Order: sequence, then C-alpha cells, then structure tokens
Amino acid sequence: MPDEEVLEEGVLNPAKPEIQDPLLKSILAENGGLLAQAPVEQEQPAPLPDPVDEVDCVVIGTGAGGAPLLARLAMAGLKVVALEAGPRRDPTRDYATDEKAQHFLFWNDERLSAGQNPVAFGNNNSGTGVGGSTLHYTAYTPRAHRDDLRLFTDFGKGVDWPFGVEELEPYYEELEHFLGVSGPTPYPWDPPRRTGYPLAPLPLNGAALLMQKACAGLGIQTSPAANAALSARYYQEGVGWREACTNRGFCQAGCNRGAKASMDVTFLPLAEAHGAEIRADAFVTEIERDAKGRVTAVVYTQYGEQKRQRCRHLFLCAGAVETPRLLLLNELALTSGQVGKNFMAHPGMQVWGTFEEDIRPYKGIPGGLISEDTHRPTDADFVGGYLLQSIGVMPVTFASQMARKRKLWGQPLRDYMRSYNHTAGINILGDCLPHENNFLELADEKDVRGLPKPRVHFTAQENEQRMNAHAEKLMRQIWEAAGARDIWAYERYAHTIGTARMGLSGDDAVVNPEGRAFDVPNLYICDNSVFPSALSVNPALTIMALSLRTADKFLAAQQRLDR
Amino acid sequence: MASPHYPDGTVRALLQTDLVTEATRAALLPRLDTSEYTPQFFDEATYELLRAVAARIYPQPERPEPIELAPVVDKRLAQGDSDGWRYDAMPPDREAYRLGLGGINQAAQVLFQRPFGHLSEPQQDQVVAAVANGTAPGENWQHLPIDRFFEELLAELAEAYYSHPLAQEEIGYVGMADVPGWHRIEPNQLEAREPEEVKP
Ligand SMILES: Cc1cc2nc3c(=O)[nH]c(=O)nc-3n(C[C@H](O)[C@H](O)[C@H](O)COP(=O)(O)OP(=O)(O)OC[C@H]3O[C@@H](n4cnc5c(N)ncnc54)[C@H](O)[C@@H]3O)c2cc1C
Ligand code: SF4
Repeated sequence: MPDEEVLEEGVLNPAKPEIQDPLLKSILAENGGLLAQAPVEQEQPAPLPDPVDEVDCVVIGTGAGGAPLLARLAMAGLKVVALEAGPRRDPTRDYATDEKAQHFLFWNDERLSAGQNPVAFGNNNSGTGVGGSTLHYTAYTPRAHRDDLRLFTDFGKGVDWPFGVEELEPYYEELEHFLGVSGPTPYPWDPPRRTGYPLAPLPLNGAALLMQKACAGLGIQTSPAANAALSARYYQEGVGWREACTNRGFCQAGCNRGAKASMDVTFLPLAEAHGAEIRADAFVTEIERDAKGRVTAVVYTQYGEQKRQRCRHLFLCAGAVETPRLLLLNELALTSGQVGKNFMAHPGMQVWGTFEEDIRPYKGIPGGLISEDTHRPTDADFVGGYLLQSIGVMPVTFASQMARKRKLWGQPLRDYMRSYNHTAGINILGDCLPHENNFLELADEKDVRGLPKPRVHFTAQENEQRMNAHAEKLMRQIWEAAGARDIWAYERYAHTIGTARMGLSGDDAVVNPEGRAFDVPNLYICDNSVFPSALSVNPALTIMALSLRTADKFLAAQQRLDR
Repeated sequence: MASPHYPDGTVRALLQTDLVTEATRAALLPRLDTSEYTPQFFDEATYELLRAVAARIYPQPERPEPIELAPVVDKRLAQGDSDGWRYDAMPPDREAYRLGLGGINQAAQVLFQRPFGHLSEPQQDQVVAAVANGTAPGENWQHLPIDRFFEELLAELAEAYYSHPLAQEEIGYVGMADVPGWHRIEPNQLEAREPEEVKP
C-alpha cells in the first residue's frame, strides 16, 4: 500500500521527530524527549561562524573513523567542528534506486592506480558525503578475531597491533548495540561473547541459501552474517526510531530507509544533538602549524571560497588515501618515513556461477551468509586467513565487472547478461601483508584543485596470491556442489588500509597506540590508515571501535592535563 | 539452458506505478528520451566512429531505435568527469579515447584499406576482435596499452547500456520498483511485480 509507505517514510528520518508515530511519541515522553533534540536536516549551509574562532577539535572526514569520535567528543562537552569534503543529502528524498544516479556517493576525484594489481577506487572503495564510505558500505560487521591482531607473533610475518583485541571488545559491544546489528547469537566462530547481537539475523536470499546448502554438504559451517542493517524497527538512543530493512538489496548505493547503520543516521545526528557542527562540501587542503610544530588551523574550500578554522586539536579521518595525501601535501608527521607506506587492500576474490534457479540477485541484503571456517585453514600455505560471504549484486556493477574480467562483446555479451537473474556469487575478504612495493605517493599530475593526484601502487604478493588460489578453489567447489555452471572468478582488491600505521615507536609508525602522531602533539589520525595489519574481516566495525577508543583516550588525557 | 527472455514493456509499465519512488523515476525516465544528441566533446567524425564501435559491442538488431551509448561517453568527457580512478599506465581519459578510437580506424585501414565506418559488419567485428585480442595493427597502440583501453571501453559501455531501463528490462531486473521492499527473496520465489521469464 503506497500510502502507508509514504507515512512510514516519515518515520525513517530521525532528523524529523515531529512526524513520527504515536507509539514513538509515548516512548519519547518516557525518555524525556531525547529525540526532540535531534537536529533538523540542513538544507542550506548554516551561516559560517567567525573564522577566527578557535574550537577544541576539528575532525576532517565523517566516515567510520570520524563520526563516532565526533559524537564522543561533542558528548563530553567539547566544541567540535567536522569538515566533510562531500555533500549532505537527504536519503529519503535524494537516494534513487539506481546505480548511476547514486554516483555522488563515491569519491570520484581521479586516483592513479599502479602496480601489477592496480586497485579500483570510486565505487569499489571510497565514499564521500556526510557519512563517508559508510553511505555505500554493505554494512557487514564481523568482529576481528583475537589472533588477527598478532600476525607477527603467530606467523613471524606482518606486524602485531600495539594492543590486543580485548581493548576493542567493549567498543564492539557498544557499537553492535548502538547501531542495531542483526546477527547470530551465539556467534559460531569466536570464543563465546559476553553479549549477543541485539537483533535477529536478516533473512537469507537466493545466493545465501544456495551457498548454505552446498556448504552443509561439504562440511563447511555457515551462519547468517552480522550486518548493521536492522532486521526489526529499532530505537536508537539519541537518534530515535529507525525502520527495518526491506530487503531492497541496494546498500552499496545508499539506503533510502535509514535501516542501514551509516554514520548519517547514527553517530552524526547524535553528535549534532550534542552541539557538534558538521560543515559539508568543505574540502581541506592545508594544515597550519606554529613554530613548535603544533597544528593551529586548517584551511578548506567551501562553495568556491577559501576558509580557515582554528583548532586546539586536529583529528584527521579522511580515509587511507586522502589522509596520507594530506600529510604528504602538508609535509606533516613525516619523520618515521612511514606515511603512504604499508598500503594494504583486502583480497576480495569473487566467484560467480549461473544456476537453474531464478535467483534475482537484486533482492535481500547483499551479503547474507558468512563462513569463518577459513579463518585459519589447516591446509593453508599462507599467513592469516579469510572469510567467505554470499553476495548479491546490482546489474550495472555486475555488467561492469563482467566486462573487465571476461571481455565479452557483441551477442555473447548480451546473452550472458540475460542470465543475470540466475547468477549468484561468493566472495572472500582476507588478510593482506604490508609490502615495500605497495605504497601511496603524490603524482606529478594535478587534480582540478591544482593538487597532486595520489598514485597508489599495489601488487598482490606471494601471500595474497596463495590465499586467492586457496579461496578460488574452495569457492569453485562450493558453487559446483550447488549446481552452478559457467563459473568464473574475479580477482579484486577492496578496502584501503594502512598508509599511516599505528605502533609503539615513532621509528616505524606514524601514530601511537592512542592514535596521536608521534611528531605532532595535537594531531590524531583515526581511520583505515592507522591499521598496522589488514585483519581477516571487513574493517568498518573495527574502525568505529578504534574511533571510540581514540576519543576516550584523548578525553582521559585531557582530564589528566586539567588536573 | 539458453538465455531467458522477459516480456516487453514491464519496466516502462512499472515506472508509471507508485511502486517506484519519485527519486528513482526521476533518474530513469530521462534515459528513455530518444531525441537527437549533438556531440559536445568529440568532433562529428570521431563521434560517429564511437557510435559505430559501440554498435558492434552492443549489437541491437531487434530494436528499431537502439540504445545510444556514445552520448554517455561524450557527455562525460565534455564535463571531465571521472569514476574515481585510472590505470596509471593509461593517459588521461580524453587522450585515451582519442588515441584508442584513432587506433581502431588505423587497424581498419591496415586490415581492409578503409575507415571503420565504411566496413561491413563482419569486417568491423574482425577489427574489434583484433583490438580485443590485443593484435590490432596501428601506430597509436604504441602509445596506448591496447588491453587496458579495450577493458575501459567495455566497462564504460557496459555501465551505460545496463543503466538504461530497456536494457534492465531485457535482463529481467526490476529492482527499481523499490517502494514496497521485497518479501519473496528465496530462489524461484517471485513477487507479483517481478516479470516471469519467457522460457526459450
Ligand atoms: C562498496 C563498498 C562496500 C563496503 N562494504 C563494507 C562492509 O560490508 N563492511 C565493512 O566493514 N566495510 C565495508 N566497506 C568499507 C568501509 O566502508 C570503509 O572501510 C570505511 O568506511 C572507511 O572508513 P574511514 O573513516 O577510513 O574513511 P571514509 O568512511 O571513507 O571517510 C572519509 C571521509 O573523509 C572525507 N574526506 C577525504 N578527504 C577530505 C578532505 N581533504 N577534506 C574533507 N573531507 C575529506 C571523505 O569525503 C569521506 O567522507 C565497504 C566499502 C565500499 C566502498
Ligand atoms: S537492503 Fe536493507 S539496509 Fe540495504 S539498502 Fe535496502 S533497506 Fe537499506
């Protein structure tokens, strides 16, 4: 019933509490009107505050790294401003269910991809806008395993994190409950957890069910995945009611229901409710310092105008390509020589097959089923491990990947695409070791702003190649067991990781275990770039956990200073 | 199993219903517009060459008015838009298209002594096949990695073609009917608004 849907759409928008339903109103009354403080979506840029004003903290970037700490700092009463290069949009109004129309969600400034396995950016990797890449992530939220953080200890390769996973566990719990993660309880692979997922798993779609059955036959354990999309309506503290996922399958190009826990419907409204200011369309180009090397201000361009914002502390959360780019452009935090180094990307090999069944890969949450039996395979000839996920796909993305890999053209191309509704995929996400040949540098070529473009070198090394080979064999086995024909594999690398790593010493790391740059006392980095190793799981939940941890460590340090 | 077919008119009909959000309809309807396009970036001859190449990569003999892909490329290049990355081994996109399309014409000249546009369809297919195999003759390929160019061309045309509502109809995609959400998501389960395939 379309009319009901229109009504419901109003409920989706946590920024418009006044049009929500009676049940909500009564709950609101009980909760002391928490929701009423939620900010109204900004249509027009707010009038700019006096640029000479100094704020406590500037946060650059509002993705998985920037948003949680922005909320945390604002809730502690600090005066905080976030500068976000991308636009602010209203999902219920502006998000078409169309891949091309959603182009604005991607970081479309050209990056140069070098090496033997050049990494695709844009829709493969990088989002922009108020919410960052979480606007188009698939919201898979597995936790890192204990041993993910100590590859060196266990294998003598890669590097250990400067702390154990127990430092992240309380934040994982907090995040799962705040975001409303849907998932299996108990979780089959990790050691037992203190708390389960707050919501039941999302329903399994065609690809997930086919994979589930085939894996059962092969003795591979599977489970519905943990996903930060709501399997039921969920009341989120400080934000309000969010609607359940409608299995629209379109997470990668933006959820128009607010069911997916992207930052724009979770931490950012919470931050704004506590006084944080978010400036959209604000592209930071310069970071200014005083004679002692402390950051004093940032310069950014907004609507064609250059502006300056002074700050006592800077949190750089621009993602693992733009963060090192800004550091290199500004010759900042470079003493370790590690900025731009240790670039990693998850092996994200996909295997597709054609089935007799009518599958309709556009329906259901794209990644419904998971297996972590491959976390430390007994027959592995590589370091680390990977996870398996079933995948759905939208037609344009599928056609594009298929064209790149299979190079079909003419009638065979159109014929193959006619079986789109009969295709299902599985993919992996696996560890990647840092390597000296994989790095980011500034190119001579300039972008539209006159700034050097980043050039990212990536070559899958022996470990990644072995992992891919292991995974491809296994995924092909699964799809064969499921009755697929015309099986093909697409080797791909996703997620940008590393480039400003965290460690115990400024000799080989850019930031300390609290996220602070070793050589700039009031600069913090918090995003994918500080990961010392890639982890064998999708990164977003861990980025958010680090973000909250960095904020808490910062706040604790501030208190110590105040005393 | 031969490729399934889907009944004509399903997507056009869907777009008229309130099963589609306003935002989605606004994105899709303009693509059905078939009015004449004047190139803004390519000169007339190069534009026609691109059209001819696209027509071999996406032959549409069954359509009285084929889905035009060249305007999508021309508009993008005119605006200088990017998809966020480029192979470092490739020159900037405008240069790559200039060199690549020029190279296709050179290959046509070497193989058949005539420009690509003057060849028969089977001859054109031979030229495209030579580019696809990386064996096309022509001086421009000294300056442009032929395999990367072909890959980029295929990917851009694929994205343009399958963004078109009629191409989506051809493969039975109706995800644009996004208002109600989906309940019947298991294999072989269809909602009323999902067209059943016509078994060949
Ligand atoms: C298609 C896709 C699917 C994904 N699926 C998953 C998944 O299922 N699970 C998962 O865990 N992860 C997933 N990811 C990855 C996840 O989204 C990212 O790892 C995560 O969001 C990165 O967080 P970040 O804070 O490092 O960067 P981002 O979230 O990218 O945030 C960086 C922000 O900084 C802004 N910025 C950059 N430069 C500047 C500047 N100079 N001035 C101002 N602002 C700037 C950008 O606009 C952006 O908003 C997916 C990613 C993609 C692309
Ligand atoms: S599948 Fe669910 S979470 Fe994903 S876009 Fe659709 S409604 Fe949002």
